[in-house]
Amino acid sequence: MKQHYQNRIELLQGTLDLLILQTLQWGAQHGYGISQAIRSRSGDALQVDTGSLYPALHRLEHQKWIKADWKTSGNNQRVRVYQLTAAGKKQLLSERSRWQQISEAIAGILSPAKENET
Amino acid sequence: MSFFWRRKQQELNEEIDAHLRMAERDRLARGENPGRAAQSARRELGNVALIHETTRDQWGWRWLETLLQDFRYACRMLRKSPGFTAVAVLTLALGIGANTAIFSFVDAVLLTSIPVKAPQQLVAFSWSAHAQPKIKGLSDYGDCADQPGIGDCSFSIPFFKTLRAQANAFSGMAAFAGPMDVDLSGNGAASMARGLYVSGDFFSTLGVSTFIGRPLAPSDDLPSAPPVIVLNYSYWARAFAAAPSVIGRTVHLDSTTATIVGVADPRFTNLTPGKPLDFFMPFSVADSVRGEWWGNQDRVSDATERWIVILGRLKDGVSLGQAQATATAIFRNEMIHGVAQFFKPEDAPAITLRPLRSGLNGETSEIAPALYVTMTIVAFILLIACANVAGLTLARSASRQKEMAVRLALGAGRARIARQLLTESLLLSLVGGALGVLLSIWGIDAITALFSSGYYQTFPFVIAPDWRVLTFTIAITFATGVLFGLAPALRGSRVDLTPSLKESASSLPGVASHTGRRFRLGDALVVAQVALSIVVLIGAGLLVRTLRNLHGINPGFDPQNILLFGIDPHLAGYTDAQTQQLYANLQQRFTALPGVISASYSEDALLDGGWSGNDVHLDGAPPKQNVNTATLTVGLDFFSTMRIPLLAGRNFTSADFAAAAATNAANKVRAAAAKSKPAPSASAPAPPTALEEAYFHSAPVPVLINEFFAKKFFANQNPVGLHMGDEQRADSDVQNLGPGYTIIGIVGDTKYPQLRRKIVPIMFLPLMSNEAHFELRTAANPTALVKNVREIVSQAGDNLPLTDVRTQTEQIDQILFQERLMARLSSFFGALALALACIGLYGLLSYEVACRTRELGIRMALGARHRDLLRLVVGQGILLVLIGAAIGIAAAFGVTRFISAMLYDVRANDPLTMLAVAILLILVALLACYIPARRAMKVDPMVALRYE
Repeated sequence: MKQHYQNRIELLQGTLDLLILQTLQWGAQHGYGISQAIRSRSGDALQVDTGSLYPALHRLEHQKWIKADWKTSGNNQRVRVYQLTAAGKKQLLSERSRWQQISEAIAGILSPAKENET
Repeated sequence: MSFFWRRKQQELNEEIDAHLRMAERDRLARGENPGRAAQSARRELGNVALIHETTRDQWGWRWLETLLQDFRYACRMLRKSPGFTAVAVLTLALGIGANTAIFSFVDAVLLTSIPVKAPQQLVAFSWSAHAQPKIKGLSDYGDCADQPGIGDCSFSIPFFKTLRAQANAFSGMAAFAGPMDVDLSGNGAASMARGLYVSGDFFSTLGVSTFIGRPLAPSDDLPSAPPVIVLNYSYWARAFAAAPSVIGRTVHLDSTTATIVGVADPRFTNLTPGKPLDFFMPFSVADSVRGEWWGNQDRVSDATERWIVILGRLKDGVSLGQAQATATAIFRNEMIHGVAQFFKPEDAPAITLRPLRSGLNGETSEIAPALYVTMTIVAFILLIACANVAGLTLARSASRQKEMAVRLALGAGRARIARQLLTESLLLSLVGGALGVLLSIWGIDAITALFSSGYYQTFPFVIAPDWRVLTFTIAITFATGVLFGLAPALRGSRVDLTPSLKESASSLPGVASHTGRRFRLGDALVVAQVALSIVVLIGAGLLVRTLRNLHGINPGFDPQNILLFGIDPHLAGYTDAQTQQLYANLQQRFTALPGVISASYSEDALLDGGWSGNDVHLDGAPPKQNVNTATLTVGLDFFSTMRIPLLAGRNFTSADFAAAAATNAANKVRAAAAKSKPAPSASAPAPPTALEEAYFHSAPVPVLINEFFAKKFFANQNPVGLHMGDEQRADSDVQNLGPGYTIIGIVGDTKYPQLRRKIVPIMFLPLMSNEAHFELRTAANPTALVKNVREIVSQAGDNLPLTDVRTQTEQIDQILFQERLMARLSSFFGALALALACIGLYGLLSYEVACRTRELGIRMALGARHRDLLRLVVGQGILLVLIGAAIGIAAAFGVTRFISAMLYDVRANDPLTMLAVAILLILVALLACYIPARRAMKVDPMVALRYE
């Protein structure tokens, strides 16, 4: 079991919300779809733990950033599909800019070391 | 659980299920074999229950969910031990119910505010001085409690007018007197109504408006004004069917015709608590509507007739002290230098102003002591109830230590466990509280019925639970819940895991120290309960003995089979001569009734609380040195009807009544003559008129005296046939006195106004013309005759209302009302306290026995006999009881003196009562110990040892 986790990157606190919102920006999606999308877009590097995904989805729904509807998928499976609300879009923008700031700040700290290595 | 709630859970299930399906399908599509795909999809998903729980947390109802969980669990736990639950809930319900009922009562009787505008500005006047004033007339209608020194709250109308004109510290003043019974006719049959005399500015000063019509105005109070009255709202609704057309109607008050001008605001019922009234009339009618026997006194303009209560409204910015100083200055001036000089300067007459509530306490001063004692008793009951439930919860939580340890080991938070225990306690107290509220509604009715049985009229206080009482109850409920829930909860969460989890821990002798520590609190609670209940029981014992002592008193006459009722012919317009005629006529007709052995009458009935007194001058005593005696005017055959033995001399005869009537008539003529001669001593004495001649030659009034009178004032002589003179006042002319009295007989001693009063000298005179209470000695149940009596009275005169119809034994119950009430209430609560304490003791010992089953088994296996085990268990219980009893008795020594004023012929620290109560408690406690002890003896050593 331990091996299973080794090649994964632990998600930073608070980044899951950003990833979910960003994924839904591309279109409405159900929970499994969201986890698969994050996984494939990160090149299998990011795997979302189901135990974090659903609480996060329900939390975002409770905050009215996303809303959910029951739909029937292609192979006749009833699924709960989430989509972004207007408030969610605004939230996504602010989270993105915040992420931008954080990654720039971290990059600024890390860049001299990077030069030494190469 | 709501439908919405369940659906939300189902949806979550379905959502996660869908996730699993899709993951499985993807794996199959990628070519994994079917069995492996399902397995790894599930593995990837992780702990489904945990996902559920953390997701549900996001819904924001977590607290509600856990609360419901706690609640459901608490319900289940309580249902699992029905005995404990029933006892705890009932105990709490009794404690809370009794407290709510009593508090409602105290609130209604002692704490409600008087319904007037800005009552905090209103003050009631009373006066005090170092010496008694020279009084001519004084009436007191029970508006204020007795003052410790000299003084009261009765003033004269002229003083009120002077004060109103001069006192500039007040923005308004008002006065009132009464209410008095007035014969009100013109609205169907004649009936008695209670009318309050008020000054014209009464309504405006108090800020009381009318429901319909107009209030009384100062112009209505002028002597020339046409008589008008304002009805009280409830009287209007009761007697006039709330008809708006009453405005402008006329009614007859006695013989005066008055117009109804208004109906007062429904919220304004009366000023002095406990004094119901039916209508308001201005002082200007006081001369014609007399309301009661006033003789020829002039109440409106005579400064020496003190009979009204004065109220003032303080001006803004004027303090009570300033106003008091102003009023005192006016009072001093008026009383020392005014028309009638009441006081000398050294008497220091002064005015005291009191806020309305404490100034006019009226009826409440009668009930208050009984209420405060009951309130204290009931507070004790609540304490016992709390200790009881705390003890039970404690014992239970101890037996649940293993459960708590398991929960802790499984990862439950300590806070969560504490909350769980607290929820159980709160649930208990909530159920107890709800039941208590129901009980209090019933209790209020019961207590009202108890207290009101002491009143002839309807009970003057309306008792209903209101929001403040409800708040109070809820506060008590939660306080108790938290109080008895918190201690075990804190301890319960401090459980040490390992020893508790070991099966044998609780019953190994080795952990006795642990057990000992645990039970010190339980023991203390039982001791506290025993001590508290001992105090209540001793109080009850003293009050019951007081009642027994009072009932055991020989009143000096035979109170069985006597019917009593009052008649006041003056109110119906009878003259003195007509009254005498009427009494003789009635007495004859009552005696002729079948079932009546004899009939008589007297001014006051014996033991009805009322009495009169007079000073007489004994022949041979120095001039102006009088002795005081109680007096009672009676009709023919009074002594034989009451079965008071004649010890010497003879009874009254009709001739005595004729002689007394002649003297009485001569007296009146003389008084009238004296009034028309303003300066009797200044000029040379005028020649006596024929009337005065007749007076001087009138015979002394024949009287009987009681044995005590004879022994006290005629120690060494036979008083029969002796003469006594009229009172010789400081200012009376010794040469010009009345004819005095002749003693014609001696009768046995009787209690007169009260059972509690000592025997005093009594002088019995022939009853001439006052109101009277008839006494009918009957062969069987006297109440069967009431109908016939009413018939006879209404045949004798249309407008003669019968008042206070009761039997003599009812009358005695009546004056012993407070004693009976306190005896009954306190013994009820005493029994309750005893029962609660024994339940506590029983609970503790039962629990101990259950815990020590193994130890008891070992003891038996080692050869202990049943007797030893019995002694072991009972001994522990009795030790606790003895400690509790000792503490309780010590506390009772300090507490019972507060009720010493209520006791009769028994001291507040009566050792017999204390001993009896202690023995009773120990006997009942023995029973409570015996049941668990028997269970201990039945322990089978083999079972006990094998059990673990």
